[in-house]
Amino acid sequence: MPPKLLTHLILALVAVSGAAAARRHPAPANFTASGNPVYIWPLPKNFTSGTQTLAVDPDLALDPQGAGGGAAAVAEAFERYRHLIFSPWAHAARPASAGYDVARLTVVVASADETLELGVDESYTIYIAAAGGANSIVGGATIEANTIYGAIRGLETFSQLCVFNYDTKNVEVRYAPWYIQDEPRFAFRGLMLDTSRHYLPVDVIKQVIDSMSFSKLNVLHWHIIDEQSFPLEIPSYPNLWKGSYSKSERYTVEDARYIVSYAKKRGIHVMAEIDVPGHAESWGNGYPKLWPSLSYMRKIFPFGLFHLGGDEVYTGCWNLTPHVKQWLDERNMTTKDAYKYFVLKAQEIAIDLNWIPVNWEETFNSFGGSLNPRTVVHNWLGPGVCPKVVAKGLRCIMSNQGVWYLDHLDVPWEQVYTAEPLAGIDDTAQQKLVLGGEVCMWGETADTSDVQQTIWPRAAAAAERMWSQLEAISAQDLETTVLARLHYFRCLLNHRGIAAAPVTNFYARRPPIGPGSCFVQ
Amino acid sequence: ANTIYGAIRGLETFSQLCVFNYDTKNVEVRYAPWYIQDEPRFAFRGLMLDTSRHYLPVDVIKQVIDSMSFSKLNVLHWHIIDEQSFPLEIPSYPNLWKGSYSKSERYTVEDARYIVSYAKKRGIHVMAEIDVPGHAESWGNGYPKLWPSLSCTEPLDVSSNFTFEVITGILSDMRKIFPFGLFHLGGDEVYTGCWNLTPHVKQWLDERNMTTKDAYKYFVLKAQEIAIDLNWIPVNWEETFNSFGGSLNPRTVVHNWLGPGVCPKVVAKGLRCIMSNQGVWYLDHLDVPWEQVYTAEPLAGIDDTAQQKLVLGGEVCMWGETADTSDVQQTIWPRAAAAAERMWSQLEAISAQDLETTVLARLHYFRCLLNHRGIAAAPVTNFYARRPPIGPGSCFVQ
Repeated sequence: MPPKLLTHLILALVAVSGAAAARRHPAPANFTASGNPVYIWPLPKNFTSGTQTLAVDPDLALDPQGAGGGAAAVAEAFERYRHLIFSPWAHAARPASAGYDVARLTVVVASADETLELGVDESYTIYIAAAGGANSIVGGATIEANTIYGAIRGLETFSQLCVFNYDTKNVEVRYAPWYIQDEPRFAFRGLMLDTSRHYLPVDVIKQVIDSMSFSKLNVLHWHIIDEQSFPLEIPSYPNLWKGSYSKSERYTVEDARYIVSYAKKRGIHVMAEIDVPGHAESWGNGYPKLWPSLSYMRKIFPFGLFHLGGDEVYTGCWNLTPHVKQWLDERNMTTKDAYKYFVLKAQEIAIDLNWIPVNWEETFNSFGGSLNPRTVVHNWLGPGVCPKVVAKGLRCIMSNQGVWYLDHLDVPWEQVYTAEPLAGIDDTAQQKLVLGGEVCMWGETADTSDVQQTIWPRAAAAAERMWSQLEAISAQDLETTVLARLHYFRCLLNHRGIAAAPVTNFYARRPPIGPGSCFVQ
Repeated sequence: ANTIYGAIRGLETFSQLCVFNYDTKNVEVRYAPWYIQDEPRFAFRGLMLDTSRHYLPVDVIKQVIDSMSFSKLNVLHWHIIDEQSFPLEIPSYPNLWKGSYSKSERYTVEDARYIVSYAKKRGIHVMAEIDVPGHAESWGNGYPKLWPSLSCTEPLDVSSNFTFEVITGILSDMRKIFPFGLFHLGGDEVYTGCWNLTPHVKQWLDERNMTTKDAYKYFVLKAQEIAIDLNWIPVNWEETFNSFGGSLNPRTVVHNWLGPGVCPKVVAKGLRCIMSNQGVWYLDHLDVPWEQVYTAEPLAGIDDTAQQKLVLGGEVCMWGETADTSDVQQTIWPRAAAAAERMWSQLEAISAQDLETTVLARLHYFRCLLNHRGIAAAPVTNFYARRPPIGPGSCFVQ
């Protein structure tokens, strides 16, 4: 480990252990830098490890503590992770007289508040040690967090520490004792899914949400509607979803609610998008002249941010349409003025519904000064945009299409990994205005058959960029350390039934070129 | 139904009759009343999965088994081991799975049992394969003595007792895991050239006045005996029939793969046959469109009804050279569904349908159903299999 990083870690540990001592186990007296790559993805903020191997009881019991420990979401999350950690036969194969180092997972959640909103505390600590060792007082495993969402992040990390040993047939935690203190760098770590170019069944969206949780992505930006199809039920305008591809390629409001609830259990926000005024051709199938009713969507999507689109607005035919031309002339507006008018009007509707509007960057490029000051600008056209946005005091989400558009198949994982949301922003106050970033899975050629193969593993590269500490991830050698860790995570995704593509293919979502191990392809 | 497996087939059909109505938000059965009486044309309706060229995690095999049940495929032919990797635990020879790609790309005996049990709940048999003497290079990673020499790592050493001890150990261990009556012993693509070039093997051949071709036969028949002693019916790839069909144990089931017109010859000799003609039912052949998969007929060229009964059925084969977790289901579906109907449904009924209107519409619907159930079935109308959709569109037309 480089000396600077070592110092950093020691200082961080000292700082943390001061606060920790009041209510938690003391930090280990010393810690070991294993020298091996850390096969946790994304890389935690602070951690120490050792040289012991601990066996984990297949009948691992949850010991919930704290005001929030008893939450159903925690118990459900534990069950999900139990199934991911242990084989289905593990319980039946457990010897009656066996002793295990880790038989209990204590999960301490300080707060009972289950509100999921942007910026919720996702921090957690993990402590795993054998009983009676020099470095520990109490044996076993403990996750501590302020909120249930921190606990859920901790459970994911814990699940990655548990490895099946094919010799002993035990699940083990290697390089114990572990002390991990973790929290994300950015609060907004998104994946955009496009269900207009191809309808994605609810089961598929669930699979995507599951896979997001494995890499701690926490915002599902649901680009529900676009030119080609309008699949969502809007009760106040029931003809809108006549714009769906077919009667069965639709989402009822119950489906949408269910998706939001499914995501919430994994600490994932759902940011819906109604892209206006462009990209809305499908609306005309139901209503030739129309305006969205966002109020019903407000009941389905509780997330504080709502995406109003505003990209690629080609206003030419406004001028060619007589009644629209007349309307423009009456107000002495150019089509560009009208574009601004439309976007701002939509923003007002969203704000009245207690939403923060998110808009694609053309709105900023065209009339940035007029945007509601609450606006979050969603960069996509290229690099160097967030610096301009935050300089104007607006918040920003980075999705620079040159690196984070997943439908751009010729962007290798290294470019995804090294894309930095704070690039070009040195002022710390302005840095805080960058909420985070998002990889975008546009659906023109992504349907149920290939969507996961296109998203993974590259989305994982962005996930680490958005979660982990800048210095730590920059310090790693890309083609040795990071590649080995990404290979491992790709194999982990495969192991969990996620169709993550080979890491080393030049083009994304290509098949493996021939036989081989998932660790090298 | 007479058995629970009939009931399970019926439940699948029932589930396809139930359709969600987006207007009423009810699940409905349309066009009632229904009276369905159903049974398969062939008893053996298989999908072969290759977990040697790429390890497929247990969760992925479960997904494949689920998707098989949706189209009533009922035999998972598990081609576990091949040249590239040996992923299965063999307790009597614990070094064998050192031939796995990595320590974690393995199946414990518990994993294998679990897969068999998971399949059984869906009325799906698991037919394991230990391909010998070719396609076995990976065995030598754990036991180099199985290689005739370091420069001859395939086929297995026919001259060595140890080879057959290991095979006996493998089969004995596997007999406790795989209850299916049929066991596949491979026997394909056996390139015996380096047997002649390896001195101790050449000597062994000369002592017995055997050619390498004789030795190939000797190997296959000896392996068959081991399987038969364990109360298995041996299945062998068709080269064994082509080379020494008359010597094969009469219980043998011949597995056709090299081309068309093979099962007629097999059943004429009184042996049973499984059809996998690679020109139509090899799923790794991406340029075979669904129409060709659908119209391939296992009984083609067999008119005698007694001989027809010797055709157990058929199998689509998902060879794994370019199929791993990321694309295996996309490669299997929807074309495997075309074969599934060919093997389940009545010949006259499916021949009577117009391919490009009726069958296409029905296959489109089934593809969308698979997608709805979370199965990554590829677009139906793409020219090459497992290609992405060419652009935005409905699953019913792509």
